[in-house]
Amino acid sequence: MDEFQEILQDFLIESFELIEQLDQDLVELENNPQDLELLNRIFRVAHTIKGASSFLNFDVLTHLTHHMEDVLNKARHGDLLIDADVMDVVLESIDLMKALLVIIRDTSSDGGIDVLACVGRLDKCTRGDTGIETPAVEEVLAPKEEEAVAEDEPDYDNMDADELEAEIERLLQQRQAEDRAKREAKSASADEQSQESEQETEDELPQSASKAPVPVTPASKPASISHDEDASDDARAAAPAKKASAVEQTIRVDVKRLDHLMNLIGELVLAKNRLIKINDDVEERYEGESFLEELNQVVSIVSLVTTDLQIAVMKTRMLPIGKVFNKFPRMIRDLSRELNKKIELEIFGEDTELDKSIVEEVGDPLVHIIRNSCDHGIEIPEIRAGQGKNEMGTITLKAYNEGNQIVIQIDDDGKGLDVELLKKKSLEKGIITQKEAENMSDKEAFTLIFRPGFSMAAKVTNVSGRGVGMDVVKTNIEKLNGIIDIDSELGVGTSMKLKIPLTLAIIQALLVGVQEEHYAIPLASVLETVRISTDEVYTVEGRSVMRLREDVLPLVHIGDIFEVERILDSNEYAYVVVLGLGTSKLGLIVDTLVGQEEIVIKSLGEFLKGIEGIAGATIRGDGGVTLIVDVIAIMEMAKHVKTSARADSTSDAAMLTREKTKASDYTVMIVDDSKTDRMIMRKALEATGITLVEAGDGQEALSILKQGDHNFDAMLIDIEMPRMDGYTLATEIKKYNRYKNLPLIAVTSRTGKSDRMRGVESGMIEYITKPYSADYLSSVVQRNINFRSEFL
Amino acid sequence: MSEKLKQIISKQSRAEQEGINHSEDVVQLVGFIIGDEEYAVPILAIQEIIKPFPWTRVPQVPKYVVGVFNMRGAVIPLIDLRLKFGLSPKKHNEDTRFIVMRHGDDIAGFVIDRLTMAIRIKKSRIGPAPETANGDDTVIDGVGKQEDRIITILKVNKLLERDF
Repeated sequence: MDEFQEILQDFLIESFELIEQLDQDLVELENNPQDLELLNRIFRVAHTIKGASSFLNFDVLTHLTHHMEDVLNKARHGDLLIDADVMDVVLESIDLMKALLVIIRDTSSDGGIDVLACVGRLDKCTRGDTGIETPAVEEVLAPKEEEAVAEDEPDYDNMDADELEAEIERLLQQRQAEDRAKREAKSASADEQSQESEQETEDELPQSASKAPVPVTPASKPASISHDEDASDDARAAAPAKKASAVEQTIRVDVKRLDHLMNLIGELVLAKNRLIKINDDVEERYEGESFLEELNQVVSIVSLVTTDLQIAVMKTRMLPIGKVFNKFPRMIRDLSRELNKKIELEIFGEDTELDKSIVEEVGDPLVHIIRNSCDHGIEIPEIRAGQGKNEMGTITLKAYNEGNQIVIQIDDDGKGLDVELLKKKSLEKGIITQKEAENMSDKEAFTLIFRPGFSMAAKVTNVSGRGVGMDVVKTNIEKLNGIIDIDSELGVGTSMKLKIPLTLAIIQALLVGVQEEHYAIPLASVLETVRISTDEVYTVEGRSVMRLREDVLPLVHIGDIFEVERILDSNEYAYVVVLGLGTSKLGLIVDTLVGQEEIVIKSLGEFLKGIEGIAGATIRGDGGVTLIVDVIAIMEMAKHVKTSARADSTSDAAMLTREKTKASDYTVMIVDDSKTDRMIMRKALEATGITLVEAGDGQEALSILKQGDHNFDAMLIDIEMPRMDGYTLATEIKKYNRYKNLPLIAVTSRTGKSDRMRGVESGMIEYITKPYSADYLSSVVQRNINFRSEFL
Repeated sequence: MSEKLKQIISKQSRAEQEGINHSEDVVQLVGFIIGDEEYAVPILAIQEIIKPFPWTRVPQVPKYVVGVFNMRGAVIPLIDLRLKFGLSPKKHNEDTRFIVMRHGDDIAGFVIDRLTMAIRIKKSRIGPAPETANGDDTVIDGVGKQEDRIITILKVNKLLERDF
């Protein structure tokens, strides 16, 4: 049974691949009905699927494909001309075939779909020619007129529907019996490999054997016109169907394994970032030591290999976008017949590769856009002719790489977008206000078509008019971190560009700081960063804005969006990260710009998903977690956020000046890396009864401060310390509003004038040089904390 | 010597058998303190217990969701059970632990005040949740009775359920 499942899986994968190609080939065939090569290829697909399905006992599918094969065989021998109507029947049967394959995939059996009607029509196409020398066209036109009845063969003319059904049933059973016989003969002798060749002889297919398979060329070619590409694509798709004489160039890998690999690479990238950071630290600390060079080399090799590995794995997940493009020729064909328009589709660059997950996501948006172009863009032939355009409208589908992005461009030479009409319709539907409409640029007006509820169609048709499609396009593309660019000229055509990042898992990000927190902003949506002084911010209607060259840029503070508590003093200068999404722009005020980094996107998990403004998280080089900003959501949130008042530091300051009732209410921190020195200071101050807290270096001191377990009245700080020296510690402490007025006393053996200067610059108010007398230290401390002498 | 060894071995195997016999109606729990009360969760729902380390605040969530932290490459939410149970916040001290619990694919870390011990308790000694806390919404699975104390057993799946 397992073996059967395995074969079944292979069969399904192969069949879906073949069918994908089939659609395109058939549309091609309609244009070149005499192309024998094309016909042979299509025939072989039907034949392969028939063969395999009969081997696997899928009778319905076998039955259907067998009849398809008959029609195609006729055409191949020149007995039947493939015209639009025959093609309709063939395409219908292929749709049925697809439906059957889907059912097989889901249920492992092929019941549930009635193929008889279609088989009847197929038969008619076949018989149409076997009979007397009547032109094929007339014969096939007939069934169209009486569509309900599936048969019009003379023999059956007198039958009513039931009898007809019975007759078909009888023929079907007969056929199935034959098939079964064949199958038994086959399975007796053959494994899967030989089955192919046997069937070919059985069905008298002399050419097929002699027509040697086109050699497979796995190397990808530069983008060129679709017609040239077809041949090689076909060869690739059809390759598995032929007997593999050469060594196989590809293997199929479960996507789950690739995903797992990708996750592991993600971990590796994180570890690499961390290694680089540690390397930097070590370098700083042991400058000039000889082992450093070796460490440097190793780190750079690891980082290089990791990057290469990441690219290599990303490439294994890449699929040519042709996978998506392939279904459009068929769609255009169906649409043009439905809409009575003449439309030609040109495809360029279908070899352009994209991450698998993205390829899966862009399909739907493209369908909507192309439908839209067919329905609203391309005019009917009469109008086109009247305007001096070619009656045949052209839609061009193009894919190419541009930097870290892939661009999918959809152009049509239709009537273009009418800005005034767009505005009028939007006003009618209440999507925009009169004022908005007046201030709108042409580019902004084009984007109206993406608004939910917007529709240009006068009435709802099969193709469009529900006002849903383009809205979906926008959401889907933005979900992929992509942007849409529209350009249009009235009467000449419309051009849409979808710009999508190559991969979803690892992105370049700009890291920004606000107070003590960091956030990552996807670099793709960052247009530029500017430094502004606080008086460059203006207020218009209660919202902050700034002038950026010619434009007025709305501003919002990242701290207001993410409810960041303002504990640090705000600087005179702020940085503005200009975010751009399509035509809308927003300035995000941040405290610091940390830098650019490659980050691995991690989900926040089920528990925290869907937090507004947060797209995910990433793990940084130091092992900490940084949240990734959801730019689209931020743009939306910025409209509702109010600027909060500057945090007042008075409440915190009040805590520091609490009433002291006894000596131990005073607390002083001693920061020194030498235990002896700490002991000396402790001894000097113990007599006063002041509470003393010790810290071994600057970092420790800072974390004790942040914990807030004590309210310190003063700090004694040594300058020379590992990890964080006294100057840095003082500078850090002064960043906090609540410690603005905390007296910092340097206790050091550094006596140079420049040392004293640095001390003052970093915010120290007293400078005690070692050695000192115990009384002197005690008196300096007492003076600075306003120690009341009655406690002594 | 070999006599003694045999004795030990036979004693061990006997003990093992007894263990097997009893394991059916014994539940293994890990007990911890939040505020003044002792709680417990099934030992199998616990992925690991770690000392507190830095986490990142997440905006727009209830106060008891203190943030997310990195556990060997996975981003995991951190929930303060004191706040979740309506107690006042408390500074982390050296007894504070993060208990990482898992139920299916859901995973989260919980801040607790202090661990007590691993508890083996007979199923028969576990009573239902008190009437007042009954229903589907409660996080209380039952109440375990030991000689000298009462332990509230929590539903891990409820703890891991998002309720905002």
